[in-house]
Amino acid sequence: MVVLALINILLANYTELKFRVFDNFPKKKLLKGRTKFFRIPNLNSDIRLSRKFKFAKEHAKIKISLKRYLIMPFEPEKFVEKKISEIQKLIKGKAVIACSGGVDSTTAAVLTSKAIGSRLTAVFVDTGYLRKNEPENVKELLKGLQLNPRFVDAKEEFYEALKGVVDPEKKRMIIGEKFIRVFEREAKKEKTEYLVQGTIAPDWIESGGALRDTIKSHHNVGGLPKEMKLKIIEPLRDLYKDEIRKLARYLKIPVSEKQPYPGPGLAIRIIGEATPEATDIVREACAIVEEEIENAVKNKKMGKPWQYFAVLLPVKTVGVQGDVRAYGNTIAIRAVHSIDGMTAEYSKIPNEVLEKISVKITNTLRDKVNRVVYDITNKPPGTIEWE
Amino acid sequence: MKVYVVDNGGQWTHREWRVLKYLGVDTEIIPNTTPWKQIDSEGLVLSGGAPRIGTESTKLGATSEYLANLNIPILAICVAHQFLAMNFNGEVGQAEIPEYGKVELEVDCDNELFQGLPKKFYVWESHNDEVKSVTKDFTVLAHSENCRIQAIKYMKKPFYGVQFHPEVEHTQYGYKIFKNFLALCRK
Repeated sequence: MVVLALINILLANYTELKFRVFDNFPKKKLLKGRTKFFRIPNLNSDIRLSRKFKFAKEHAKIKISLKRYLIMPFEPEKFVEKKISEIQKLIKGKAVIACSGGVDSTTAAVLTSKAIGSRLTAVFVDTGYLRKNEPENVKELLKGLQLNPRFVDAKEEFYEALKGVVDPEKKRMIIGEKFIRVFEREAKKEKTEYLVQGTIAPDWIESGGALRDTIKSHHNVGGLPKEMKLKIIEPLRDLYKDEIRKLARYLKIPVSEKQPYPGPGLAIRIIGEATPEATDIVREACAIVEEEIENAVKNKKMGKPWQYFAVLLPVKTVGVQGDVRAYGNTIAIRAVHSIDGMTAEYSKIPNEVLEKISVKITNTLRDKVNRVVYDITNKPPGTIEWE
Repeated sequence: MKVYVVDNGGQWTHREWRVLKYLGVDTEIIPNTTPWKQIDSEGLVLSGGAPRIGTESTKLGATSEYLANLNIPILAICVAHQFLAMNFNGEVGQAEIPEYGKVELEVDCDNELFQGLPKKFYVWESHNDEVKSVTKDFTVLAHSENCRIQAIKYMKKPFYGVQFHPEVEHTQYGYKIFKNFLALCRK
């Protein structure tokens, strides 16, 4: 085990840093160097990285890893300090937070509760478009974090509103408005006008406005209704997912590594009308993709993708199942690697893993799905989700 | 040191702001209608954006004023790169083969912007239009298989244009390109 210590840190000027790295073995292993990057935000990452490398190669790797990390100055502790005082100035009374149990909104919730304590109520909405076991898991999470959770079952309301809706932008707008109406009701009960949201940079960037084109209306920005009775507070709007994760780890939030999941949920993983029946199909397919990929990661067959899921396509094709002609829908598997969600490349999943997913999906969903395809599009030109 | 990001409505404008911030620079995103006299920074990054260069170049606001009146280093990205070429009598237009996502870039000559970088590396693109030709006031710094003019340098002032996006995570050596640009701003 190599123990690294960093000594002799000398800021030659504000962008240049000289460093020496050494281990607790013979002196000749001493490393000297300099870099033009200007600070060391997280030495632990370097130590963790360097452990993975063989002794013979370690020096070269340490150099590389130091370089890699020396340009990452997002500092969660400073950010938390600054935001807590900002939130305290903004919110004098009570507030509600829209909390899905994902990384962004849970981090926003914990941060806000650090600022205003029990004056915060976390509202979790079951839209009917959640993944398998998600409502139960989120309930447990929010109770554990002591965020005054309130659970709203709005399944029928959402299903009803999306009846016959096919256009992805319309879906997003309807979902955005439904969410706000639920939050307005809950805020009224709490006698507050403040709604905190875990909006992050890609949400408002992709939602567009003025000169910026609308790529997709995120439910929490572009999907907000024109008339609403709430004042919105977004403490994380300048951060990207990698920074949110750093913040979440710092705040010791148990879901810090959870994969991204869009607010509109399975409704935008169904191309075409998001009926309850179609939702059941894509929910099962998503569960299979998640389970098989997570197993493969655990068995070291592949690295963990940034995001991985299934999409139900309204494309019917011919197949043969049990000597009988089949005519069923298609499932697309999507898995990507990304840092911040603003660019992405499709994951190079081993064929044996893809095959296992494919067989399991068609065996489980029988007469519903008889074909599975893998999406090999990067972002750009694709986006990560299909709608 | 202060370097502003001029917003032309790009998907990655805020990424440019983030990269500059990570490199320890004071930075701010400003609208492209900001009068040039108000620009008190040591360098300027002009973002990409959705406007089509052929029909919507007026959407780039005061960009031509910046190019006419400022003498600080400017890094013009994507549509701003096309505008830089066009502003000084170059030819721009719809790309015969547009590029989206991963593209291999080949550096044509030694230059400050790509200093310390390999001759070939992967960059990420997202463009429908391109620079077709530049006048002899420019040096072409790099090309790709489907786009002959991927990076340019204006010889009369420290203005640089890149068709690709050095600010996104997937572009190799993106931070290094920004650092090289900042070294020019610091001079």
